[in-house]
Amino acid sequence: MRCPGENILRGVLSHAKSVRIFALEDGANLLTRLLSLILLLGVLSSTTRCDAQQTALDSLRTKGILVWGADQEGGGPFVFPDDKDPTRLTGFEVEIAELIASHLGVKAQFQQGQWDKLPDLLDRGDIDIVLNGFEWNPGRAERYGTSIPYYIYELQLLARVDDDSIKKWDDLLTTPAGRPRKISLLGGAAAEEYVERFAGDKVELALFDGVTDAMRGTELGTDNIDANVQDLPIWSFYKKDFPLLHAVGPPVGRGFYVALVRKGDTALLQSVNDALLAGFRDGRMRKIFERYGMWNEVQALRALETRGDHGFVGLTTADAATGDGTNSADAAEPSMATSQSTGGLKVIAQRGWFLVRAAGMTILLSVTAMPLAVLIGLVMALCRLYGKWYVATPAACYVEVIRGTPLVLQLYVIYFLVPEMLKSIFPGTHFSISAFWSAVAGLAINYSAYEAEIYRAGLQAIPKGQMEAALSLGMTRGLAIRRILIPQATRIVIPPVTNDFIALFKDTAVCSVITVVELSKEYYIHARNTGAIVELGILTAVLYLAMSYPLSLLAGRLESRLSKEARS
Amino acid sequence: MISLKNVVKRFGSQDVLCGVSMSVARGEVCVLLGPSGGGKSTLLRAINGLETFDGGSIEVCGTSLPPQAGSAREAAMLQIRRRVGMVFQQFNLFPHRTVLENVIEAPMHVLRQPREQAIAKARSLLERVGMLGKCDARPTSLSGGQQQRVAIARTLAMEPEAILFDEPTSALDPNTTAEVVSVMQDLAKGGQGMIVVTHGMHFARNVAHTVHILHSGSIIESGPPEQVFENPQHEVTRGFLSDSR
Repeated sequence: MRCPGENILRGVLSHAKSVRIFALEDGANLLTRLLSLILLLGVLSSTTRCDAQQTALDSLRTKGILVWGADQEGGGPFVFPDDKDPTRLTGFEVEIAELIASHLGVKAQFQQGQWDKLPDLLDRGDIDIVLNGFEWNPGRAERYGTSIPYYIYELQLLARVDDDSIKKWDDLLTTPAGRPRKISLLGGAAAEEYVERFAGDKVELALFDGVTDAMRGTELGTDNIDANVQDLPIWSFYKKDFPLLHAVGPPVGRGFYVALVRKGDTALLQSVNDALLAGFRDGRMRKIFERYGMWNEVQALRALETRGDHGFVGLTTADAATGDGTNSADAAEPSMATSQSTGGLKVIAQRGWFLVRAAGMTILLSVTAMPLAVLIGLVMALCRLYGKWYVATPAACYVEVIRGTPLVLQLYVIYFLVPEMLKSIFPGTHFSISAFWSAVAGLAINYSAYEAEIYRAGLQAIPKGQMEAALSLGMTRGLAIRRILIPQATRIVIPPVTNDFIALFKDTAVCSVITVVELSKEYYIHARNTGAIVELGILTAVLYLAMSYPLSLLAGRLESRLSKEARS
Repeated sequence: MISLKNVVKRFGSQDVLCGVSMSVARGEVCVLLGPSGGGKSTLLRAINGLETFDGGSIEVCGTSLPPQAGSAREAAMLQIRRRVGMVFQQFNLFPHRTVLENVIEAPMHVLRQPREQAIAKARSLLERVGMLGKCDARPTSLSGGQQQRVAIARTLAMEPEAILFDEPTSALDPNTTAEVVSVMQDLAKGGQGMIVVTHGMHFARNVAHTVHILHSGSIIESGPPEQVFENPQHEVTRGFLSDSR
């Protein structure tokens, strides 16, 4: 589905922006390369796990579980919550994962991860295999074990039905409105590379995080978007949701979806290939693709299918029909093809519980991280105010560095880089930080810098006479700080800390980059899979408000009480 | 018991104390008088280590106080502060603790007295300063005079051999000043040693054993109050006393 190079950090850098303008990319690229180089060095230094190679397949057999990674947010037809029973995952890759697992004689276990971070999860050892529309390319094959293709995809140009000015690919190069055409794409997708090659800078690109967002943007003409280039299977799956869009021109840019394993897990890779080949031969793979409206002539050209008597199946009449593959998909009347857009209260009734449950994760993250943040912040503030220079200077640096870097980057470093670094420092040992605790640590560290400054101001606001009185009573400085200053400073900092707590509640959303599914991520998953952006969006907003408003009230009440105390 | 020899203190290029020598005996009530800016508070704060000094020596209860920061000074300050208490112009009660908690704080956490013992002691001290009825009140709800009396009880709880009073009544109105002065008189009668920086002539005249007049960083005149007040030798003292009358 999407792809290009090994710019793993690109996602981090572009996280906050759902739409990037193409011209901005070059600058970011240099930084991205630098960062990936650092990352690569870290990874290389620890990939000397010779004896691990042979045991990868054995160990997952011993565990009886094949852990496969994908991102539900990518949606249909890949991996998405089932329309009828959203507790269940469905999608053609879910079925392929089960097919592979059963071939290995183990159970398939799904691991959610942000799409562009899935290869990192593989490196980290959290998952055994990535199965999520990753396109084969030489760079990827260099770094990871790539299976034989389980699907041959093509790209489809989409335009608005009422737009007569785009009838073929070459129309993209025309400028009827006196400006270059604007094309929406999934950020980092193969389509981006194709369009770049086709049109270079003669068109403008609008990069989205989600495929349905890109289609919706095109349908609405948001920000003068003229057209969308989409993976054909995605278009086949979602076309019913976008009646104002139509396919323009033939499918182009053929490529391969492959499964990824760690480089060197050759035994596992071979088993995956065997499983896929067996699935193709006996028609199970074809059935899977037919269920999702994805089977087309291009897949049939593999010419692997055999009947029960081992005779070649050949092209059926439906497959043989020429024209674009989507027509044949329609003819097959697949049971699960196309998402069923459910709207209104029904969606909320059906999926609301997932959001409420994810809100629980948001709360858990916040209430675990915030006390830690306050504690670290207090220690840093004390070091800066009362420590000798060799304590105060590092504390000041800590605050500045943490305040000056984005939370996403900190989470990324804690989750992906720290375990690698520890492994290379202490070879032979296994370090693993769970996603949840990485998220807690990241949030706590990030907010500790702000809490440190709040506490510093709070401590400085206490009249000098308090310390003098305490010292005159024979207290040591430490005792005076502990018994007299900190309790008073804590009263002063309660209102600003409560405000930060509310901010932290919302910042937990960033933790989805390290596979933690909290309220925002859960919203994206369900909104993009159902199209109920507004309904679920309102529910999500209500949930956030329900969590933060009591805190606001509390902050207000504390503030007025404290100011009253100060006046009397 | 407290002995200062030739103490010098500079703030930048300004000499605040230019060689002050004095000594205070056990149980002695010593009053520092003089025009504002004469260095009285600085001298007092130097005695228990709240200010460093630049020359001379200070010895309190047999402990010599090093003039500048260092671990030796830290240790000496702890020794001195357990024996010499201080009462401030702004009271400096701990606002997050009740009256009783203010008084038991140091006995419990510095002297490690059991809570019951500290409370019993605190109650008797609060009774002595007339504040027993306000045990559970917050300092912020008290008048200035009440706060200062609690502050005195808080200092007494450490059973100091001497108490340094830094303008204890300057922030008070005349009525509440009288409450505090009567407590201080009562303490003096009980044999409590103290060094008092004040503008209250009445207290100096009636309670002090010794009066020192500090002017521009030097003691220009010392003696029993009757001598200093009735027969001042120094021009500045005469001017100061007539202004204060």
